[in-house]
Amino acid sequence: MIGVAPPAYDPAAPTTATTLPVGATATVRAYVAELFRRHRRAFLLLIAVNTVAVVSSMAGPYLLGGLVERVSDGARELHLGLTVGLFVLALAVQAVFVREVRLRGAMLGERMLADLREDFLVRSVGLPPGVLERAGTGDLLSRITTDIDRLANAMREAVPQLAIGVVWVVLLLGGLVVTAPPLAAAVLLAVPVLVVGCRWYFKRAPSGYRSESAGYAAVAAALAETVDAGRTVEAHRLGARRIALSERRIKEWTAWERYTLWLRSVLFPVINATHVVVLGSVLMVGGVLVLHDWIDVGQLTTGALIAQLLVDPVNLILRWYDEVQVAQVSLARLVGVRDIEPDAGDGSLAPDGRTVRADAVRFGYREGVDVLREVSLKVAPGTRVALVGPSGAGKSTLGRLLAGIYAPGAGRITLGDAELSRMPAERVRSHVALVNQEHHVFVGSLRDNILLARADAVDAELWAALGAVDADGWARALDDGLDTEVGSGGLALTPAQAQQIALARLVLADPHTLVLDEATSLLDPRAARHLERSLARVLDGRTVVAIAHRLHTAHDADVIAVVENGRISELGSHDQLVEADGAYAALWRSWHG
Amino acid sequence: MQIQDLPYPDPGVPDARSGPRFLWWLGRNQLGGQLKALAWGLLHFVSVSALPFCVGLAVQAVVDHSGTRLAQTGALMALCGVAIAVGDTFLHRTAVTNWITAAARVQQLLARQSAELGSALTRRVAAGEVVAVSTGDVEKIGWFVEAVSRFTAAALTVVVVCVGLVVYQPALGVIVAVGLPVLALAVLPLLPRATRRADFQREKAGRATELASDTVAGLRVLRGIGGEELFLDRYRRASQEVRRAAVRSARMWSLISAIQVLLPGLLLIAIVWQGVHLARQGRITVGELVTVYSAVMVLTYPLRHFEEIAMAYSFSRPSAKRAARVLSLRRTTDAGGSREADAPSGDLYDPATGLLAPNGRLTAVVCGDPDAAGRLAERLGGHPSEAGPSVLLGGLPLDELPLDTARTAVLVQDKDPVLLSGSLRELLDVPASGGVGAEEALAAAQCGDVLDALAQGSLDEGDPMDARITERGRSLSGGQRQRLALARSLITDPEVLVLDEPTSAVDSHTEARIAEGVRTLRTGRTTVVFTSSPLLLDRADRVVMVHEDEVVAVGTHRELVHTDPLYRAVVTRETDDEAALRTRLDDHEAALRKTRKDDRAALRNGLDGDEAANRLGTFEEIEESA
Repeated sequence: MIGVAPPAYDPAAPTTATTLPVGATATVRAYVAELFRRHRRAFLLLIAVNTVAVVSSMAGPYLLGGLVERVSDGARELHLGLTVGLFVLALAVQAVFVREVRLRGAMLGERMLADLREDFLVRSVGLPPGVLERAGTGDLLSRITTDIDRLANAMREAVPQLAIGVVWVVLLLGGLVVTAPPLAAAVLLAVPVLVVGCRWYFKRAPSGYRSESAGYAAVAAALAETVDAGRTVEAHRLGARRIALSERRIKEWTAWERYTLWLRSVLFPVINATHVVVLGSVLMVGGVLVLHDWIDVGQLTTGALIAQLLVDPVNLILRWYDEVQVAQVSLARLVGVRDIEPDAGDGSLAPDGRTVRADAVRFGYREGVDVLREVSLKVAPGTRVALVGPSGAGKSTLGRLLAGIYAPGAGRITLGDAELSRMPAERVRSHVALVNQEHHVFVGSLRDNILLARADAVDAELWAALGAVDADGWARALDDGLDTEVGSGGLALTPAQAQQIALARLVLADPHTLVLDEATSLLDPRAARHLERSLARVLDGRTVVAIAHRLHTAHDADVIAVVENGRISELGSHDQLVEADGAYAALWRSWHG
Repeated sequence: MQIQDLPYPDPGVPDARSGPRFLWWLGRNQLGGQLKALAWGLLHFVSVSALPFCVGLAVQAVVDHSGTRLAQTGALMALCGVAIAVGDTFLHRTAVTNWITAAARVQQLLARQSAELGSALTRRVAAGEVVAVSTGDVEKIGWFVEAVSRFTAAALTVVVVCVGLVVYQPALGVIVAVGLPVLALAVLPLLPRATRRADFQREKAGRATELASDTVAGLRVLRGIGGEELFLDRYRRASQEVRRAAVRSARMWSLISAIQVLLPGLLLIAIVWQGVHLARQGRITVGELVTVYSAVMVLTYPLRHFEEIAMAYSFSRPSAKRAARVLSLRRTTDAGGSREADAPSGDLYDPATGLLAPNGRLTAVVCGDPDAAGRLAERLGGHPSEAGPSVLLGGLPLDELPLDTARTAVLVQDKDPVLLSGSLRELLDVPASGGVGAEEALAAAQCGDVLDALAQGSLDEGDPMDARITERGRSLSGGQRQRLALARSLITDPEVLVLDEPTSAVDSHTEARIAEGVRTLRTGRTTVVFTSSPLLLDRADRVVMVHEDEVVAVGTHRELVHTDPLYRAVVTRETDDEAALRTRLDDHEAALRKTRKDDRAALRNGLDGDEAANRLGTFEEIEESA
């Protein structure tokens, strides 16, 4: 065996540009310090309990050492009864405190873990909408699942166990010093081997294990996709390719397993050598000392047994140390979210009136690439505006700007003369709401799913909102009514029903201006139109900006804006545009037959 | 089998009749590895157990003031040290190899199984179960299969040491021989409860993770409309429940830890008590007493394997059962087919509804009920999930052809085609006729802006074909996903292409261009489109209206829109009020038309031709302007 190089392909390497920040070392340190401060009492208690447990564990070797000394001296009085009594007492204390150590360690770990995951979600929920739109939720999602999982092990086991292990080693060494100082010095003979071996190992291990677990996750992910895409796989005859892909993933994963196995193949002999050297040097050095009458046999016996006890805590420390290293990376990703400043906005800014205006607005997601150029639009209160145009023309972007999610690069978007992007997100949404194609149904009751729009609403209001979106029919047919559990794991709602729920939330929130981005695209065509009509009755008097890919929505609007290539190319009512005989008119004719 | 030789060229045919049989099959298939692990394990455990004898020898040597014997003991210890290190390292290597080869084998079996079941998986509950086996159960199965040899080595060692002690020092050895089995078995009754609590904790943790990821997934909704506190509170509650469950589980494990301290301690005290008496009587030496004491301390290490194997079995049993169930699933229809045939061609005909898609033409199907449309589309591909008369392609029943032949001849793109993750190049690399290039297909499906979006999101903004598509294309909008899926189907270029609502999430401007693109690209090939969009219908050679599983009207879009009220209602999305109004107008018009029917019929053909030309012109304008 000459060694194994790390595989060339690293499944843990990022595949897409990370958009959310990763915490700097200083941020992570500050957070860890804060965590320690918050749980200082529990930490001190754990160490105290652990001290008692370890000290009492040394009673056995110590008492046996005394007995051995007296027996080998041929002493008349052994005090055997007393010694055994002390032995039993020490054992009882040890058993009780070992239990306490384990329990306190878990309690501390769990509390820290709970703090961490709750902190993270609180932070995530406070992120500015613009950051979310830009970054997407994928990165955030992987942080709250994968990274929290990795940290769970570290917090639950590694941190408390490491604390225990370190205290344990220190106390055992202390016990050795008390028994016979030269024996403690003998133990140090093993230290160089251990240090050199561990430095080599821990330099390579964390990234190795990260790649290994990413590789294993990729094996499961490939299979999950094959299963999820079963119909597509069969229709396109992709079966053989999927098998080949799974096998490639297995090869990549096992290559990393082989690498980490090699790392351990170096570490294990080092650890074993350490243990044997510790025990051997205590016995040999101690033996020579006894032969020269510098220490007695009892001290030697006690020393040898304590040296044997060192095996457990040393293993404990080595076992959990790399887990903590891996956890650091995850912690940095979680803490990174704290580096994003929540948008405070200008609290003094309040709209005066309901007119929405865009003045010479320019906007682009990337430097130098404008999605919108010089767009101006005035929407009078109570008007229904439809934005139509080809994909990628900038309709959705304009909708998000009108809802205050992004700030324009140049120009102004105002609501009642107040600039939307400078207002706090909470204020904006009390005036303007956006419903997009993302129709998320939360895990929970149907009631909670609607209630989030206005927490103090009563059931009658919820039913009214459902009625306004034509959803009361199927909702009333549910066995548990509003208490029905929906979302993943609960009753599966159709995409159309999910969209109705999104709209019911909107009805309940009742902002005076609404931006609907393809809000009914998933309903079957006739139902969609029916819904839009009944919604129009409820929303009468509200300003509605609807982004539509179906022309009937445009037909029903007061004003239609055709967005093409980042500009508004046609503006007017349906009749005016048909009269003008431009692109819209051509489409309408073709569409309506 | 070495790790570097994985994956298996052939993972074999598993014995999936039951969970235990499956475990047995896995173990039998790595018998060599198991024996190796057993041998290394014995070396390791026995040499670890030899250390206490060294301690005893050293103490006795000192008591007897013999420097020579002390040095000899030192040499013996060094030997033991080497044996321990070699044994431990190679035990670990073989054990991990056994675990990995078992896990890889099960993963390979699962991959083959899911590829074979294909669409049958999504229809059954099994989909989630296969994934659960892959993500959670494989590890547990591998753990047990691997632990068997380690446990056997540990158990043999315990027996050997006990026998050794009885021979070495019968009076003390007997106490050890009686005490050790008690130590080994004492905590076993507590393990089921402990593992139950651990399972409960895992379940709670899973729930909390689900709530957290659910909240994050819907974060844009929450930030847009409010309700953050509602969901934070809910998560805090779930998170605290996890904490409580974890502490409850820790209580059990800490009790087990305490027992693992207490019982060996009591055994040690008994040995000291008896040993000191014996030593006083001169029946044993001090060194022997220390040896026995030290041996019991060391033996707790192999004893832990008794608990481990019990836990491994209790964890892996349900896992193995689930894996066996998943691996024993079979397709409902015979994928082999009852007749050999080359991929047929000709008209596609469904005897159940009477739907006919003529060879080489573009047929559009309008069906008021989207679910019924989905079922019909599935049937057109042959081998459907529901039994019924087979669809005929060129007169041959598709259900009787081998599955692969049927899928080659007819490609059915369902309503929710899945984009598989990977680079765009990989996505579009599907088995195909080779007649249609990626560029052509992407252009026909109007994927220009998708390519731009992909290039933007990728690490190095180079060739969009190298851009990564995330799982299910989640980073793309619904319309973008649909267009990529359509491009993929177009590249396949099958004899018959069936598209179910391929542009439902695409805006009208783009849809009109796609309709033209698909029509041009599929010229001379048979294409069936399920749609209610006039923009697509208008470009079909033939439009078929299916209502309640029966063909009710056939014609062109323009004929049907004027003559069939049901058709008109579906495709123009009229509300009932409009329909009523329209009916009255139609009646009126019909009365008028009656009188001038002949004149109009004479005019119609000419008019339609001009109008079509006009319209084509307008679309070219739109294209240029965009």
